[in-house]
Amino acid sequence: MATLFDGYQERTHATRSRRNVTSPFDEMFADLAKTGTPRTPYAEIHRALAQMTQEELRGRTDALAESYLAQGVTFDFAGEERPFPLDPVPRVIEQDDWAQVEHGVAQRVRALEKFLADVYGPQLAVADGVIPAGLISTSSHFHRRAAGIESANGVRIHVAGIDLIRDEAGAWRVLEDNVRVPSGVSYVISNRRVMAQTLPELFTSMSVRPVGDYPYRLLNALRASAPAGIDDPTVVVLTPGVYNSAYFEHTLLARLMGVELVEGRDLFCSAGRVWMRTTAGPTRVDVIYRRVDDEYLDPLQFRPDSVLGSPGMLLAARLGHVTIANAVGNGVADDKLVYTYVPDLIRYYLHEEPILPNVDTWRLEEPAALEEVLDRLDELVVKPVDGSGGKGLVVGPDASADELAELKNKLIADPRGWIAQPVVQLATIPTIVEDGMRPRHADLRPFAVNDGNEVYVLPGGLTRVALPEGSLVVNSSQGGGSKDTWVVGERVRRSGNQPVDVAALVANQSALTTHDDIEPAHLEMDSHMPEVSPRDFDGDARTRQQIEQQQQQERPIQSGGVPC
Amino acid sequence: MLSRIAESLFWIGRYVERSDGTARILDVHLQLLLEDPWIDENTACRSLLSVMGSDDEGDEPVTRGDVMNLLAVDRTHPASIAYAIASARENARRAREVVSTELWECLNTNNARMPRKVAGDKTHEFFRWVRERAALAIGIVDSATSHDEAWQFFTLGRAIERADMTARLLATRSLTEASGPSWTTILRSCGAYEAYLRTYRGVPSTKNAAEFLLTDRLFPRSILYSVRRAEECLREIDPRLGRAGVNDAAQRLLGQIRSEFEFRPVIELLDTLPEHMEEVQAVCSAASDAIRQRYFPTSAVPVWIGETS
Amino acid sequence: MSRLRVVHRTGFTYNLPAQASYNEARMLPAHSGDQFVLSTNLDISPPAIQHSYIDYWGTRVSTFEVLTPHTELSVTATSLVEVRPSDAPTPGASWEDLASLAATSVHFVEHLRPTRLTAPHEEVERLALASRQTGATPHETALVLARAVHERIEYQRGVTGVHSTGAEAWTAGKGVCQDFAHVLIGALRSLGIPARYVSGYLHPKPNAQIGETVTGESHAWVEWYAGDWFGYDPTNMLEIGERHVLVARGRDYTDVSPLRGVYAGPSASSIFVRVEITREA
Repeated sequence: MATLFDGYQERTHATRSRRNVTSPFDEMFADLAKTGTPRTPYAEIHRALAQMTQEELRGRTDALAESYLAQGVTFDFAGEERPFPLDPVPRVIEQDDWAQVEHGVAQRVRALEKFLADVYGPQLAVADGVIPAGLISTSSHFHRRAAGIESANGVRIHVAGIDLIRDEAGAWRVLEDNVRVPSGVSYVISNRRVMAQTLPELFTSMSVRPVGDYPYRLLNALRASAPAGIDDPTVVVLTPGVYNSAYFEHTLLARLMGVELVEGRDLFCSAGRVWMRTTAGPTRVDVIYRRVDDEYLDPLQFRPDSVLGSPGMLLAARLGHVTIANAVGNGVADDKLVYTYVPDLIRYYLHEEPILPNVDTWRLEEPAALEEVLDRLDELVVKPVDGSGGKGLVVGPDASADELAELKNKLIADPRGWIAQPVVQLATIPTIVEDGMRPRHADLRPFAVNDGNEVYVLPGGLTRVALPEGSLVVNSSQGGGSKDTWVVGERVRRSGNQPVDVAALVANQSALTTHDDIEPAHLEMDSHMPEVSPRDFDGDARTRQQIEQQQQQERPIQSGGVPC
Repeated sequence: MLSRIAESLFWIGRYVERSDGTARILDVHLQLLLEDPWIDENTACRSLLSVMGSDDEGDEPVTRGDVMNLLAVDRTHPASIAYAIASARENARRAREVVSTELWECLNTNNARMPRKVAGDKTHEFFRWVRERAALAIGIVDSATSHDEAWQFFTLGRAIERADMTARLLATRSLTEASGPSWTTILRSCGAYEAYLRTYRGVPSTKNAAEFLLTDRLFPRSILYSVRRAEECLREIDPRLGRAGVNDAAQRLLGQIRSEFEFRPVIELLDTLPEHMEEVQAVCSAASDAIRQRYFPTSAVPVWIGETS
Repeated sequence: MSRLRVVHRTGFTYNLPAQASYNEARMLPAHSGDQFVLSTNLDISPPAIQHSYIDYWGTRVSTFEVLTPHTELSVTATSLVEVRPSDAPTPGASWEDLASLAATSVHFVEHLRPTRLTAPHEEVERLALASRQTGATPHETALVLARAVHERIEYQRGVTGVHSTGAEAWTAGKGVCQDFAHVLIGALRSLGIPARYVSGYLHPKPNAQIGETVTGESHAWVEWYAGDWFGYDPTNMLEIGERHVLVARGRDYTDVSPLRGVYAGPSASSIFVRVEITREA
């Protein structure tokens, strides 16, 4: 009887001829040859799947895609709008296993919070020799203009996306910290909703921890960091606009939190405060959940040509009249070189041992490290310290001799600009591909929300899968897929989705303005030509800048392929 | 709500109504040219262009084709149907997060399917298509949107534009004096003929038809109806406007013109119909401007230039 | 000791009115070891609400906005300051001292890195290296380099601009105080001597008449660290003393521009500047 998992461990000839490396950890099977015996967390899934044929499962997948297309849960692929790719087989993580992730991610966020406060403040970590003096000042995201700006409750990282992988031994490791404008949580929420609709039988017996709480938690955290003394803070989501690839997420979050979605042009700053233009007159804004990069927020402080922000915004934050979330300048913590110091930072600021280890990394600015790495360039993964979206990343075993020679020159010219890591075999997980159900590499992005008192880690997160065989590239624009991520094994505490009192959030916030009555000068018309609406004269610049906004969701994982 | 969004909805309403109204006016008059060989095409077309604020300055005779080119398919001409359809879509794009997917698709399709040229024998079909697409957009909004502030601004835009368009239509009555469109033709072009018959019974007389289109309280295309509807929207948007002593320029303008229509005898209005129709258009324009100044005062978004001393 | 009154008026004019502008001024001197500020204030026309803060480099910044249409924005800083020459001992750090310093504070690292405006011309690098090899102390070497820069560049306006780099000025052999400072800073940093860019005012006359108001200038000079921060004016070959009023410090000109802003308007802006200095005591 043919089952879904027939041929699971087959590989095409191309990858079979790859060099020998250790086998990756497979999420579902301890032994790829024994696809009848799944690991415990996957027992129920496996049972349900075993009763389906490939056609049935593909049918569900297609239904998923159609649902997404209709709802507009899409992404931009080479100018074409495609449904966000969701694979029907979820990733399952048992509660005990998850507890480590939860505590590890929360710990990491707490340490980075202290790090940022220190870096934009007394810089004690340098004085105490924990990090070298050059580390911060040479980071391109160290924004001196943000020094001295603090939110009312001191939080800088309202939302974090800490990217994790499972190594060959099945242990969790941190791959990257994203504390600037991390995105992807809207797909977590959408994936969950559509999985429940399309594959209901898989939900019935397993107690999957809900993710619907997230918008409520986020809203709470944003309100908690509002300037002191305001009873009912006005929160807005600042989006670059419709052309930004993460626009779907901005609208979803604004809608689920019940707050206004604004663009830079809806705001203006005056007298040290931020206002939005409404039909009831200017309304004060207290917290800005901004999905716009630092450099575009304030034309006076950063790029004067930005049409996505508003001049005077940083001043308002400095005066404590508005909270910008996440804080300006968080990019220092995202720096890949700083990443290598984070375990030390955890010890220094929190006096705790790191719960989640890093991936072993060489700092190329250290001469001994540079020498070793140059020697083994074809075995390692090399990343620019500054990169986003995986730009400039080179996977040694996959690169040509010319590419490696070019890389060598770059490394020698600017060692501070690079780090290197061994090729880690990312865990694989059963994924529907053309040939059937096959193991594919995956990573995990859990999301964390800091409300000043505790760091809430969303149970699950976004699992991203590289669809081509042996591939390490998971960004959707290059054919990556995603999976719903289920944390199971604990009696689900129905905290319930607290209904957000939308009316209360928006009622009575307008300052009563007295309107000077504007008498129209005369009633004769010069011409009978019908009137026209205002146009966007900066339309092109606006579109271009919206698209340029960094998409931190896109990032290929470094690792090797499926073993031969 | 955000001024930007309110403004976009207001203008979507205006543009949708404008495309419909323009299609009706053009349909009536171009049909007339076909039916009545005694009408001088050049004079008639020039007058039509004039009513639509698009006077032709040249000496060449103006033809039906010219009118179609300018007022139907020219995407760059503010008085044309093509312009209105493109602008409706443009405004929907600006307010994308509030505009429903259904409405967006409708407006987007309108724009995509708008032809660049219309053959002489297809004009009637084309105008019907425009009216149907407008009706679809309006239907989507009316049936699938909560009647909240967003709906109020959309409806306000429509009401003001409709008053303006009806005034223009009535102004064409006196275009070519005796050979302007008959009242029957005008009523038909508003879709008002049957409604008129139910109300008045019998062949349209000047007084009755004028009364119907100027002051009928129940027929949606009458000027009075549109003005009252606009006033209603303003009151819903800002409930304080209902109370004594609260001034609002737009309300005042609309209120004044409404009183005129409510209380002046129709015969008097008919005496100086062109002047009155011009007055209506002027009031609509002024009211629209007052609304803009009150609810969306700063449309021009600054583009910042850096300077250092 | 001298007491100097400085009136620095600067701003922008527009042919067609600017609709709005947001600005930052770095024009007010602060207390320091050798400088005592008796009074200082900023007048803005059209009238605008000011907020002030201390920026990352320790400079007092006044920020203000004008949201009504205007054809001229004018900012006048009036300060009364007492300055005296420093009586600190000559800085005596060794090259080894400087090398170990680099690791200890972010501030030093920041003043050692080249920037676009201060990246040294290769001739300057060679020159600096040659001076180093003479065996002189860092401080002595710095003084030698200051002289070298002064002798190579001829003071002349109009050749370089606000955005010119030190290397360009070196090649041209001509420049203004901003360029002298950038070139010297580039040379010092290339040797591992932390150096910072200072902006302020200079009373142009060595023997100033009390009460005589002269046209002064917005001026730039250098401070280097050789055991202590030491200020020197390479344009005029002067130690910082009774004729200099210090306003701001940074890595190069871009950190200390006296007036910087953004405006929204149809026409280009023209800048005007006038500085008047009076020695009052």
